[in-house]
Amino acid sequence: MKNWLAVKAVAGRELSKVFRQRGRLISSMVRPLIWLLVIGSGVGSMLQGSQQEGYLGFLVPGIVAMTLLFAALLSALTLVYDKEFGVMRMMMIAPIEHYWIVIAKLIAATITAMVQALMLLVILVLIGLIQWDIALLLLIPAFATAVCCAAIGGLIAAWSKTLDNFAVIMNFFIFPLFFLSGALYPVSQLPELLKYVVLINPFSYGVDLMKHAVPAAESDFSIVTDIAVLASFSVLAIVIACWRFSRESVHEPLFHRVTGKKS
Amino acid sequence: MAPKFAIRANGLTKRYGQAVAVNKLDLTIQPGQFYGLLGPNGAGKSTTIHMLTTMTSPTSGEAFIADKSVAEQPVAIRGSVGLVFQDSALDRMMTVDENLQFAAALYNLKPAQANERIDELLSIFGLQKKRHMKLVALSGGQRRAVDIARGVLHKPKVLFLDEPTIGLDLPNRRAIWRFVEQLRKEEGMTVFLTTHYLEEAVACDRVDFIQKGELQYGGAPNALIRDLAAFILEIDCADTEAVNKALSPEFGQPIWEDEHLTYRVKDKNVDFTQLQHSLGDAVISLQWRKPNLNDVYLWTVCPPETGVVT
Repeated sequence: MKNWLAVKAVAGRELSKVFRQRGRLISSMVRPLIWLLVIGSGVGSMLQGSQQEGYLGFLVPGIVAMTLLFAALLSALTLVYDKEFGVMRMMMIAPIEHYWIVIAKLIAATITAMVQALMLLVILVLIGLIQWDIALLLLIPAFATAVCCAAIGGLIAAWSKTLDNFAVIMNFFIFPLFFLSGALYPVSQLPELLKYVVLINPFSYGVDLMKHAVPAAESDFSIVTDIAVLASFSVLAIVIACWRFSRESVHEPLFHRVTGKKS
Repeated sequence: MAPKFAIRANGLTKRYGQAVAVNKLDLTIQPGQFYGLLGPNGAGKSTTIHMLTTMTSPTSGEAFIADKSVAEQPVAIRGSVGLVFQDSALDRMMTVDENLQFAAALYNLKPAQANERIDELLSIFGLQKKRHMKLVALSGGQRRAVDIARGVLHKPKVLFLDEPTIGLDLPNRRAIWRFVEQLRKEEGMTVFLTTHYLEEAVACDRVDFIQKGELQYGGAPNALIRDLAAFILEIDCADTEAVNKALSPEFGQPIWEDEHLTYRVKDKNVDFTQLQHSLGDAVISLQWRKPNLNDVYLWTVCPPETGVVT
Protein backbone atom coordinates (compact mmCIF):
# COMPACT_ATOMS: atom_id res chain seq x y z
CA MET A 1 0.00 0.00 0.00
CA LYS A 2 1.56 3.23 -1.09
CA ASN A 3 0.16 5.29 1.76
CA TRP A 4 1.31 2.89 4.46
CA LEU A 5 4.31 5.00 5.54
CA ALA A 6 2.17 8.11 5.85
CA VAL A 7 -0.57 6.35 7.82
CA LYS A 8 2.03 4.80 10.10
CA ALA A 9 3.65 8.20 10.63
CA VAL A 10 0.39 9.97 11.55
CA ALA A 11 -0.70 7.16 13.89
CA GLY A 12 2.82 6.75 15.26
CA ARG A 13 3.12 10.44 16.09
CA GLU A 14 -0.12 10.22 18.06
CA LEU A 15 0.91 7.12 19.97
CA SER A 16 4.37 8.44 20.80
CA LYS A 17 2.68 11.51 22.29
CA VAL A 18 0.38 9.35 24.40
CA PHE A 19 3.20 7.20 25.75
CA ARG A 20 5.45 10.17 26.35
CA GLN A 21 2.91 11.66 28.74
CA ARG A 22 3.05 8.82 31.25
CA GLY A 23 1.49 10.96 33.92
CA ARG A 24 -1.59 11.43 31.77
CA LEU A 25 -1.74 7.75 30.99
CA ILE A 26 -1.66 6.84 34.66
CA SER A 27 -4.14 9.54 35.61
CA SER A 28 -6.51 8.16 32.99
CA MET A 29 -6.82 5.17 35.31
CA VAL A 30 -8.01 7.37 38.16
CA ARG A 31 -11.37 8.28 36.62
CA PRO A 32 -12.69 4.72 36.12
CA LEU A 33 -11.39 3.61 39.51
CA ILE A 34 -13.12 6.50 41.25
CA TRP A 35 -16.34 5.63 39.45
CA LEU A 36 -16.00 2.02 40.33
CA LEU A 37 -15.13 2.47 43.97
CA VAL A 38 -17.15 5.57 44.80
CA ILE A 39 -20.26 5.12 42.66
CA GLY A 40 -20.02 1.34 42.84
CA SER A 41 -19.93 1.21 46.61
CA GLY A 42 -22.14 4.30 47.01
CA VAL A 43 -24.99 3.14 44.83
CA GLY A 44 -24.30 -0.45 45.82
CA SER A 45 -24.89 0.35 49.49
CA MET A 46 -28.47 1.32 48.66
CA LEU A 47 -29.05 -2.16 47.32
CA GLN A 48 -29.74 -5.17 49.45
CA GLY A 49 -27.15 -7.74 50.62
CA SER A 50 -26.48 -10.05 47.70
CA GLN A 51 -27.23 -7.36 45.08
CA GLN A 52 -24.55 -5.16 46.64
CA GLU A 53 -21.75 -7.52 45.65
CA GLY A 54 -23.36 -7.95 42.25
CA TYR A 55 -23.51 -4.23 41.39
CA LEU A 56 -19.74 -3.86 41.52
CA GLY A 57 -19.45 -6.74 39.07
CA PHE A 58 -22.23 -5.26 36.93
CA LEU A 59 -20.28 -1.99 36.70
CA VAL A 60 -17.07 -3.57 35.32
CA PRO A 61 -18.12 -3.62 31.62
CA GLY A 62 -19.51 -0.08 31.89
CA ILE A 63 -16.35 1.24 33.50
CA VAL A 64 -14.11 -0.39 30.90
CA ALA A 65 -16.37 1.04 28.19
CA MET A 66 -16.13 4.47 29.80
CA THR A 67 -12.33 4.29 29.64
CA LEU A 68 -12.55 3.33 25.98
CA LEU A 69 -15.00 6.14 25.26
CA PHE A 70 -12.91 8.88 26.86
CA ALA A 71 -9.62 7.64 25.46
CA ALA A 72 -10.84 7.09 21.89
CA LEU A 73 -12.86 10.30 21.71
CA LEU A 74 -10.10 12.51 23.09
CA SER A 75 -7.58 10.88 20.79
CA ALA A 76 -9.80 11.33 17.73
CA LEU A 77 -10.20 14.98 18.66
CA THR A 78 -6.50 15.55 17.97
CA LEU A 79 -7.79 15.96 14.41
CA VAL A 80 -9.14 19.29 15.62
CA TYR A 81 -6.21 19.98 17.91
CA ASP A 82 -3.73 19.60 15.04
CA LYS A 83 -5.81 21.96 12.96
CA GLU A 84 -5.74 24.54 15.73
CA PHE A 85 -1.94 24.39 16.00
CA GLY A 86 -1.26 24.35 12.28
CA VAL A 87 0.36 20.92 12.17
CA MET A 88 -2.62 19.65 10.18
CA ARG A 89 -1.33 21.64 7.20
CA MET A 90 1.78 19.49 7.14
CA MET A 91 -0.51 16.49 6.62
CA MET A 92 -2.85 18.28 4.22
CA ILE A 93 -0.04 19.21 1.81
CA ALA A 94 1.25 15.62 1.75
CA PRO A 95 0.58 13.57 -1.39
CA ILE A 96 -2.14 11.40 0.17
CA GLU A 97 -5.91 11.60 -0.06
CA HIS A 98 -7.09 13.52 2.98
CA TYR A 99 -9.27 10.72 4.31
CA TRP A 100 -6.10 8.74 5.12
CA ILE A 101 -5.42 11.32 7.83
CA VAL A 102 -8.76 10.45 9.43
CA ILE A 103 -8.13 6.72 9.13
CA ALA A 104 -4.66 7.03 10.65
CA LYS A 105 -5.98 9.11 13.53
CA LEU A 106 -8.75 6.63 14.21
CA ILE A 107 -6.28 3.73 14.21
CA ALA A 108 -4.26 5.65 16.80
CA ALA A 109 -7.43 6.37 18.80
CA THR A 110 -8.36 2.69 18.83
CA ILE A 111 -4.89 1.62 19.95
CA THR A 112 -4.76 4.30 22.64
CA ALA A 113 -8.15 3.21 23.96
CA MET A 114 -7.15 -0.45 23.97
CA VAL A 115 -3.93 0.28 25.86
CA GLN A 116 -5.89 2.14 28.55
CA ALA A 117 -8.49 -0.62 28.73
CA LEU A 118 -5.74 -3.18 29.10
CA MET A 119 -4.17 -1.22 31.94
CA LEU A 120 -7.52 -0.94 33.68
CA LEU A 121 -8.23 -4.65 33.28
CA VAL A 122 -4.86 -5.51 34.82
CA ILE A 123 -5.74 -3.30 37.80
CA LEU A 124 -9.18 -4.92 38.09
CA VAL A 125 -7.59 -8.37 38.10
CA LEU A 126 -5.05 -7.28 40.67
CA ILE A 127 -7.68 -5.92 43.06
CA GLY A 128 -9.55 -9.18 42.63
CA LEU A 129 -12.71 -7.77 41.06
CA ILE A 130 -12.54 -10.01 37.99
CA GLN A 131 -10.77 -13.21 36.99
CA TRP A 132 -7.92 -13.01 34.49
CA ASP A 133 -9.75 -15.23 31.98
CA ILE A 134 -12.71 -12.83 31.98
CA ALA A 135 -10.33 -9.93 31.59
CA LEU A 136 -8.81 -11.59 28.52
CA LEU A 137 -12.23 -12.38 27.09
CA LEU A 138 -13.27 -8.73 27.62
CA LEU A 139 -10.53 -7.60 25.23
CA ILE A 140 -12.55 -8.81 22.25
CA PRO A 141 -15.73 -6.77 22.86
CA ALA A 142 -13.48 -3.95 24.09
CA PHE A 143 -11.86 -3.79 20.67
CA ALA A 144 -15.22 -3.55 18.89
CA THR A 145 -16.25 -0.81 21.34
CA ALA A 146 -12.96 1.03 20.87
CA VAL A 147 -13.46 1.15 17.10
CA CYS A 148 -17.01 2.40 17.61
CA CYS A 149 -15.85 5.13 20.03
CA ALA A 150 -13.06 6.19 17.66
CA ALA A 151 -15.64 6.41 14.87
CA ILE A 152 -17.87 8.62 17.03
CA GLY A 153 -14.82 10.77 17.76
CA GLY A 154 -14.03 10.98 14.05
CA LEU A 155 -17.57 12.16 13.32
CA ILE A 156 -17.41 14.86 15.99
CA ALA A 157 -13.93 15.97 14.89
CA ALA A 158 -14.96 16.21 11.25
CA TRP A 159 -17.69 18.67 12.24
CA SER A 160 -15.77 20.85 14.70
CA LYS A 161 -13.87 23.70 13.16
CA THR A 162 -12.05 24.76 16.30
CA LEU A 163 -11.30 23.53 19.78
CA ASP A 164 -13.62 26.17 21.22
CA ASN A 165 -16.46 23.70 21.22
CA PHE A 166 -14.54 21.26 23.35
CA ALA A 167 -16.69 21.88 26.43
CA VAL A 168 -19.73 21.47 24.22
CA ILE A 169 -18.40 18.13 23.08
CA MET A 170 -17.89 16.98 26.68
CA ASN A 171 -21.36 18.02 27.77
CA PHE A 172 -23.32 17.06 24.69
CA PHE A 173 -21.53 13.91 23.59
CA ILE A 174 -19.33 12.15 26.13
CA PHE A 175 -21.65 12.41 29.15
CA PRO A 176 -24.93 11.58 27.37
CA LEU A 177 -23.28 8.74 25.46
CA PHE A 178 -22.07 7.30 28.73
CA PHE A 179 -25.08 7.89 30.99
CA LEU A 180 -27.60 6.78 28.38
CA SER A 181 -25.93 3.52 27.55
CA GLY A 182 -26.78 1.00 30.21
CA ALA A 183 -23.26 1.28 31.61
CA LEU A 184 -24.57 2.14 35.06
CA TYR A 185 -27.93 0.34 35.11
CA PRO A 186 -29.77 -2.38 33.20
CA VAL A 187 -31.62 -0.94 30.20
CA SER A 188 -34.74 -2.99 30.95
CA GLN A 189 -35.40 -0.99 34.12
CA LEU A 190 -35.30 2.43 32.43
CA PRO A 191 -38.45 4.49 31.76
CA GLU A 192 -39.84 4.02 28.23
CA LEU A 193 -38.54 7.30 26.74
CA LEU A 194 -34.99 6.86 27.99
CA LYS A 195 -35.02 3.30 26.76
CA TYR A 196 -35.43 4.57 23.20
CA VAL A 197 -32.53 6.95 23.66
CA VAL A 198 -30.39 4.05 24.82
CA LEU A 199 -31.48 2.04 21.80
CA ILE A 200 -30.25 4.66 19.33
CA ASN A 201 -26.96 5.15 21.19
CA PRO A 202 -24.35 2.99 19.42
CA PHE A 203 -22.18 3.00 22.53
CA SER A 204 -24.92 1.03 24.36
CA TYR A 205 -24.22 -1.96 22.16
CA GLY A 206 -20.51 -1.87 23.01
CA VAL A 207 -21.34 -1.84 26.71
CA ASP A 208 -23.80 -4.65 26.14
CA LEU A 209 -21.32 -6.75 24.19
CA MET A 210 -18.93 -6.47 27.10
CA LYS A 211 -21.64 -7.46 29.52
CA HIS A 212 -21.83 -10.75 27.63
CA ALA A 213 -18.26 -11.45 28.71
CA VAL A 214 -18.94 -10.79 32.41
CA PRO A 215 -21.13 -13.32 34.22
CA ALA A 216 -22.09 -10.82 36.94
CA ALA A 217 -23.64 -8.45 34.37
CA GLU A 218 -26.90 -9.20 32.65
CA SER A 219 -27.02 -8.14 29.01
CA ASP A 220 -29.97 -6.53 27.22
CA PHE A 221 -29.38 -7.48 23.57
CA SER A 222 -28.08 -10.54 21.75
CA ILE A 223 -24.42 -10.81 20.75
CA VAL A 224 -25.41 -10.79 17.09
CA THR A 225 -27.40 -7.57 17.51
CA ASP A 226 -24.48 -5.95 19.35
CA ILE A 227 -21.93 -6.91 16.73
CA ALA A 228 -24.19 -5.99 13.82
CA VAL A 229 -24.97 -2.55 15.24
CA LEU A 230 -21.36 -1.82 16.23
CA ALA A 231 -19.94 -2.92 12.89
CA SER A 232 -22.46 -1.13 10.70
CA PHE A 233 -22.38 2.05 12.78
CA SER A 234 -18.56 2.13 12.82
CA VAL A 235 -18.25 1.62 9.07
CA LEU A 236 -20.90 4.23 8.32
CA ALA A 237 -19.46 6.76 10.78
CA ILE A 238 -15.92 6.34 9.46
CA VAL A 239 -17.09 6.74 5.86
CA ILE A 240 -19.04 9.89 6.74
CA ALA A 241 -16.13 11.31 8.75
CA CYS A 242 -13.73 10.65 5.85
CA TRP A 243 -16.11 12.22 3.35
CA ARG A 244 -16.67 15.25 5.51
CA PHE A 245 -12.97 15.69 6.21
CA SER A 246 -12.19 15.61 2.50
CA ARG A 247 -14.44 18.59 1.91
CA GLU A 248 -12.41 21.74 2.02
CA SER A 249 -15.01 23.95 3.68
CA VAL A 250 -14.07 22.14 6.90
CA HIS A 251 -10.55 23.45 6.61
CA GLU A 252 -11.32 26.97 5.56
CA PRO A 253 -10.32 28.46 8.92
CA LEU A 254 -6.94 26.80 8.38
CA PHE A 255 -6.24 28.56 5.10
CA HIS A 256 -8.61 31.48 5.09
CA ARG A 257 -7.34 32.80 8.41
CA VAL A 258 -5.03 35.46 6.98
CA THR A 259 -7.43 36.68 4.36
CA GLY A 260 -10.17 36.75 6.97
CA LYS A 261 -8.17 39.07 9.19
CA LYS A 262 -7.63 41.84 6.70
CA SER A 263 -11.20 42.76 5.99
CA MET B 1 9.08 15.91 -23.74
CA ALA B 2 9.47 18.26 -20.80
CA PRO B 3 6.47 20.51 -20.24
CA LYS B 4 6.88 24.05 -21.48
CA PHE B 5 5.76 25.58 -18.26
CA ALA B 6 6.06 24.85 -14.54
CA ILE B 7 2.92 26.68 -13.47
CA ARG B 8 0.01 27.86 -15.55
CA ALA B 9 -3.28 29.42 -14.53
CA ASN B 10 -6.21 30.47 -16.73
CA GLY B 11 -8.84 32.76 -15.29
CA LEU B 12 -8.22 31.47 -11.77
CA THR B 13 -10.84 32.97 -9.45
CA LYS B 14 -11.72 32.50 -5.80
CA ARG B 15 -14.73 34.03 -4.11
CA TYR B 16 -15.69 33.85 -0.46
CA GLY B 17 -19.36 34.72 -0.56
CA GLN B 18 -19.51 38.21 -2.04
CA ALA B 19 -15.82 38.93 -1.55
CA VAL B 20 -13.50 38.22 -4.46
CA ALA B 21 -10.12 37.08 -3.13
CA VAL B 22 -8.56 36.38 -6.52
CA ASN B 23 -10.05 37.55 -9.80
CA LYS B 24 -9.38 35.93 -13.20
CA LEU B 25 -5.71 35.33 -12.68
CA ASP B 26 -3.66 34.30 -15.73
CA LEU B 27 -0.12 33.08 -15.18
CA THR B 28 2.56 31.22 -17.08
CA ILE B 29 5.78 30.46 -15.26
CA GLN B 30 8.70 28.71 -16.98
CA PRO B 31 10.50 25.77 -15.38
CA GLY B 32 13.40 26.90 -13.19
CA GLN B 33 12.11 30.44 -12.92
CA PHE B 34 12.23 32.43 -9.71
CA TYR B 35 8.87 34.15 -9.69
CA GLY B 36 7.59 36.73 -7.22
CA LEU B 37 3.97 37.66 -6.61
CA LEU B 38 4.03 40.96 -4.78
CA GLY B 39 1.40 43.03 -3.10
CA PRO B 40 0.01 44.29 0.19
CA ASN B 41 -1.55 42.10 2.88
CA GLY B 42 -4.83 40.67 1.76
CA ALA B 43 -4.17 41.21 -1.95
CA GLY B 44 -4.83 37.55 -2.72
CA LYS B 45 -1.27 36.20 -2.69
CA SER B 46 -1.87 33.38 -0.22
CA THR B 47 -5.17 32.42 -1.80
CA THR B 48 -3.39 32.13 -5.16
CA ILE B 49 -0.77 29.84 -3.62
CA HIS B 50 -3.43 27.75 -1.89
CA MET B 51 -5.28 27.26 -5.16
CA LEU B 52 -2.10 26.27 -7.00
CA THR B 53 -1.24 23.71 -4.31
CA THR B 54 -4.73 22.13 -4.00
CA MET B 55 -5.29 23.49 -0.50
CA THR B 56 -8.25 25.55 -1.72
CA SER B 57 -10.25 24.86 -4.84
CA PRO B 58 -10.90 27.75 -7.21
CA THR B 59 -14.43 29.05 -7.71
CA SER B 60 -13.70 29.13 -11.44
CA GLY B 61 -10.77 28.88 -13.81
CA GLU B 62 -8.11 26.22 -14.03
CA ALA B 63 -4.50 25.71 -13.02
CA PHE B 64 -1.73 23.31 -13.94
CA ILE B 65 1.58 22.35 -12.39
CA ALA B 66 3.76 21.03 -15.21
CA ASP B 67 1.21 19.02 -17.18
CA LYS B 68 -1.03 18.03 -14.28
CA SER B 69 -4.36 19.66 -13.55
CA VAL B 70 -4.75 20.96 -10.00
CA ALA B 71 -8.43 20.06 -9.96
CA GLU B 72 -8.08 16.58 -11.42
CA GLN B 73 -4.89 15.22 -9.88
CA PRO B 74 -4.59 16.83 -6.45
CA VAL B 75 -2.56 14.01 -4.91
CA ALA B 76 -0.03 13.96 -7.76
CA ILE B 77 0.21 17.76 -7.56
CA ARG B 78 0.92 17.62 -3.84
CA GLY B 79 3.70 15.14 -4.60
CA SER B 80 5.41 17.51 -7.01
CA VAL B 81 5.09 20.80 -5.14
CA GLY B 82 6.54 21.96 -1.85
CA LEU B 83 4.71 24.60 0.18
CA VAL B 84 6.15 26.64 3.00
CA PHE B 85 3.18 28.17 4.77
CA GLN B 86 3.09 31.72 6.02
CA ASP B 87 3.08 30.54 9.63
CA SER B 88 4.85 27.43 10.71
CA ALA B 89 3.23 24.05 10.17
CA LEU B 90 5.70 22.27 12.44
CA ASP B 91 4.93 20.64 15.77
CA ARG B 92 6.66 22.77 18.37
CA MET B 93 6.68 20.00 20.93
CA MET B 94 8.66 17.65 18.72
CA THR B 95 12.35 17.87 17.83
CA VAL B 96 13.66 19.10 14.48
CA ASP B 97 14.46 15.50 13.57
CA GLU B 98 11.05 14.15 14.60
CA ASN B 99 9.29 16.86 12.63
CA LEU B 100 11.33 16.21 9.51
CA GLN B 101 11.09 12.42 9.82
CA PHE B 102 7.34 12.79 10.19
CA ALA B 103 7.10 14.99 7.10
CA ALA B 104 9.39 12.65 5.16
CA ALA B 105 7.14 9.66 5.96
CA LEU B 106 4.16 11.69 4.72
CA TYR B 107 6.06 11.97 1.43
CA ASN B 108 6.64 8.22 1.43
CA LEU B 109 10.40 8.53 1.94
CA LYS B 110 11.91 5.45 3.55
CA PRO B 111 13.76 6.14 6.83
CA ALA B 112 17.23 5.70 5.29
CA GLN B 113 16.38 8.03 2.39
CA ALA B 114 14.84 10.50 4.81
CA ASN B 115 17.90 10.49 7.04
CA GLU B 116 20.21 11.24 4.18
CA ARG B 117 18.01 14.06 2.90
CA ILE B 118 17.58 15.59 6.36
CA ASP B 119 21.37 15.52 6.84
CA GLU B 120 21.85 17.26 3.53
CA LEU B 121 19.26 19.98 4.19
CA LEU B 122 20.29 20.68 7.78
CA SER B 123 23.85 21.15 6.60
CA ILE B 124 22.72 23.67 3.97
CA PHE B 125 20.90 25.55 6.71
CA GLY B 126 23.69 25.08 9.26
CA LEU B 127 21.37 23.39 11.71
CA GLN B 128 23.06 19.99 12.18
CA LYS B 129 23.66 20.71 15.86
CA LYS B 130 20.00 21.51 16.46
CA ARG B 131 18.76 18.26 14.98
CA HIS B 132 17.67 16.71 18.24
CA MET B 133 16.42 19.88 19.90
CA LYS B 134 12.76 20.60 20.36
CA LEU B 135 11.42 23.24 18.03
CA VAL B 136 10.49 25.57 20.90
CA ALA B 137 14.21 25.91 21.67
CA LEU B 138 14.98 27.33 18.21
CA SER B 139 14.98 30.98 17.15
CA GLY B 140 12.35 32.28 14.74
CA GLY B 141 14.82 32.24 11.85
CA GLN B 142 15.93 28.69 12.59
CA ARG B 143 12.34 27.50 12.80
CA ARG B 144 11.59 29.08 9.44
CA ALA B 145 14.65 27.35 7.99
CA VAL B 146 13.35 24.00 9.30
CA ASP B 147 9.98 24.83 7.74
CA ILE B 148 11.67 25.40 4.39
CA ALA B 149 13.65 22.16 4.80
CA ARG B 150 10.32 20.42 5.41
CA GLY B 151 8.94 21.93 2.23
CA VAL B 152 11.78 20.59 0.05
CA LEU B 153 12.36 17.15 1.64
CA HIS B 154 10.83 15.40 -1.35
CA LYS B 155 12.72 17.50 -3.92
CA PRO B 156 9.63 19.16 -5.37
CA LYS B 157 9.66 20.51 -8.90
CA VAL B 158 7.99 23.70 -7.73
CA LEU B 159 8.55 25.32 -4.35
CA PHE B 160 5.94 27.77 -3.05
CA LEU B 161 7.15 30.19 -0.42
CA ASP B 162 4.37 32.20 1.20
CA GLU B 163 5.96 35.24 2.84
CA PRO B 164 9.01 33.26 3.96
CA THR B 165 10.65 36.17 5.76
CA ILE B 166 7.63 37.66 7.53
CA GLY B 167 8.32 38.48 11.16
CA LEU B 168 12.06 37.84 10.90
CA ASP B 169 14.85 40.32 11.61
CA LEU B 170 17.22 41.46 8.88
CA PRO B 171 20.10 38.97 9.41
CA ASN B 172 17.63 36.08 9.47
CA ARG B 173 15.87 37.38 6.39
CA ARG B 174 19.14 37.51 4.53
CA ALA B 175 20.00 34.01 5.71
CA ILE B 176 16.66 32.68 4.44
CA TRP B 177 17.31 34.26 1.03
CA ARG B 178 20.76 32.67 0.92
CA PHE B 179 19.17 29.26 1.59
CA VAL B 180 16.58 29.75 -1.12
CA GLU B 181 19.29 30.81 -3.56
CA GLN B 182 21.36 27.75 -2.71
CA LEU B 183 18.38 25.41 -3.07
CA ARG B 184 17.60 26.91 -6.44
CA LYS B 185 21.18 26.49 -7.58
CA GLU B 186 21.58 22.94 -6.32
CA GLU B 187 18.18 21.51 -7.15
CA GLY B 188 17.07 23.71 -10.03
CA MET B 189 13.55 24.02 -8.73
CA THR B 190 11.02 26.58 -9.84
CA VAL B 191 10.32 28.96 -6.97
CA PHE B 192 7.05 30.84 -6.54
CA LEU B 193 7.41 33.49 -3.90
CA THR B 194 5.03 35.92 -2.29
CA THR B 195 6.18 38.81 -0.18
CA HIS B 196 5.20 42.29 0.76
CA TYR B 197 8.81 43.23 1.45
CA LEU B 198 9.16 44.31 -2.17
CA GLU B 199 12.89 45.02 -2.07
CA GLU B 200 13.46 41.31 -1.36
CA ALA B 201 12.07 40.34 -4.73
CA VAL B 202 14.88 41.93 -6.76
CA ALA B 203 16.50 38.50 -7.18
CA CYS B 204 13.39 37.18 -8.95
CA ASP B 205 13.44 36.53 -12.69
CA ARG B 206 9.98 37.99 -12.93
CA VAL B 207 7.59 39.72 -10.56
CA ASP B 208 3.93 40.60 -10.81
CA PHE B 209 2.08 43.02 -8.61
CA ILE B 210 -1.28 41.92 -7.31
CA GLN B 211 -3.84 44.23 -5.83
CA LYS B 212 -7.35 43.38 -4.62
CA GLY B 213 -7.11 39.97 -6.26
CA GLU B 214 -6.07 41.24 -9.68
CA LEU B 215 -2.72 41.15 -11.41
CA GLN B 216 -1.61 44.70 -12.12
CA TYR B 217 1.74 45.00 -13.73
CA GLY B 218 4.84 42.91 -13.99
CA GLY B 219 8.13 42.08 -15.59
CA ALA B 220 11.78 41.52 -14.78
CA PRO B 221 12.58 43.60 -11.66
CA ASN B 222 15.57 45.36 -13.21
CA ALA B 223 13.66 46.25 -16.35
CA LEU B 224 10.72 47.52 -14.28
CA ILE B 225 13.05 49.70 -12.26
CA ARG B 226 14.93 50.90 -15.33
CA ASP B 227 11.70 51.77 -17.13
CA LEU B 228 10.34 53.64 -14.13
CA ALA B 229 13.05 56.31 -13.90
CA ALA B 230 16.76 57.02 -13.73
CA PHE B 231 16.41 58.64 -10.32
CA ILE B 232 13.81 59.25 -7.68
CA LEU B 233 13.81 62.78 -6.33
CA GLU B 234 12.30 63.43 -2.90
CA ILE B 235 11.71 66.91 -1.60
CA ASP B 236 10.43 68.16 1.75
CA CYS B 237 9.19 71.72 1.62
CA ALA B 238 6.71 74.09 3.25
CA ASP B 239 5.23 75.58 0.11
CA THR B 240 4.59 72.47 -1.95
CA GLU B 241 2.45 74.33 -4.48
CA ALA B 242 5.24 76.68 -5.46
CA VAL B 243 7.90 74.00 -5.62
CA ASN B 244 5.68 71.75 -7.69
CA LYS B 245 4.94 74.57 -10.06
CA ALA B 246 8.65 74.98 -10.66
CA LEU B 247 9.41 71.27 -11.05
CA SER B 248 6.43 69.62 -12.70
CA PRO B 249 7.10 71.01 -16.21
CA GLU B 250 10.40 69.14 -16.16
CA PHE B 251 9.64 66.02 -14.09
CA GLY B 252 5.88 65.54 -14.44
CA GLN B 253 3.39 65.12 -11.62
CA PRO B 254 4.75 64.00 -8.26
CA ILE B 255 3.42 61.66 -5.58
CA TRP B 256 2.16 64.23 -3.14
CA GLU B 257 2.05 63.41 0.58
CA ASP B 258 1.51 66.45 2.81
CA GLU B 259 4.80 68.36 2.59
CA HIS B 260 6.65 65.61 0.82
CA LEU B 261 6.94 65.49 -2.97
CA THR B 262 8.35 62.53 -4.88
CA TYR B 263 9.29 62.86 -8.54
CA ARG B 264 10.60 60.36 -10.99
CA VAL B 265 13.47 61.69 -13.02
CA LYS B 266 13.85 60.01 -16.40
CA ASP B 267 16.83 62.00 -17.60
CA LYS B 268 20.10 60.41 -16.45
CA ASN B 269 22.00 63.69 -16.82
CA VAL B 270 19.99 65.95 -14.57
CA ASP B 271 22.21 68.24 -12.53
CA PHE B 272 20.79 67.94 -9.02
CA THR B 273 23.31 70.38 -7.55
CA GLN B 274 22.06 73.06 -9.85
CA LEU B 275 18.50 72.14 -9.05
CA GLN B 276 19.27 72.55 -5.38
CA HIS B 277 20.66 76.03 -6.03
CA SER B 278 17.69 77.13 -8.07
CA LEU B 279 15.18 76.03 -5.43
CA GLY B 280 17.25 77.66 -2.69
CA ASP B 281 15.48 78.25 0.60
CA ALA B 282 12.18 76.91 -0.62
CA VAL B 283 13.10 73.33 0.29
CA ILE B 284 13.80 71.80 3.69
CA SER B 285 15.48 68.74 2.28
CA LEU B 286 16.20 67.37 -1.16
CA GLN B 287 17.55 63.96 -2.00
CA TRP B 288 17.91 61.82 -5.07
CA ARG B 289 18.51 58.10 -5.29
CA LYS B 290 18.19 55.10 -7.56
CA PRO B 291 14.65 53.74 -7.83
CA ASN B 292 13.74 50.30 -6.42
CA LEU B 293 10.75 47.94 -6.57
CA ASN B 294 8.93 49.90 -3.88
CA ASP B 295 8.94 52.88 -6.23
CA VAL B 296 7.69 50.73 -9.10
CA TYR B 297 4.84 49.63 -6.87
CA LEU B 298 4.01 53.15 -5.71
CA TRP B 299 4.06 54.65 -9.20
CA THR B 300 2.36 51.93 -11.15
CA VAL B 301 0.10 49.96 -8.90
CA CYS B 302 -0.95 52.11 -5.99
CA PRO B 303 -4.54 53.28 -6.37
CA PRO B 304 -5.05 57.06 -6.71
CA GLU B 305 -6.69 57.49 -3.29
CA THR B 306 -3.38 56.77 -1.53
CA GLY B 307 -1.98 59.99 -2.86
CA VAL B 308 -0.72 59.38 -6.37
CA VAL B 309 -1.50 62.35 -8.54
CA THR B 310 -1.31 61.55 -12.19
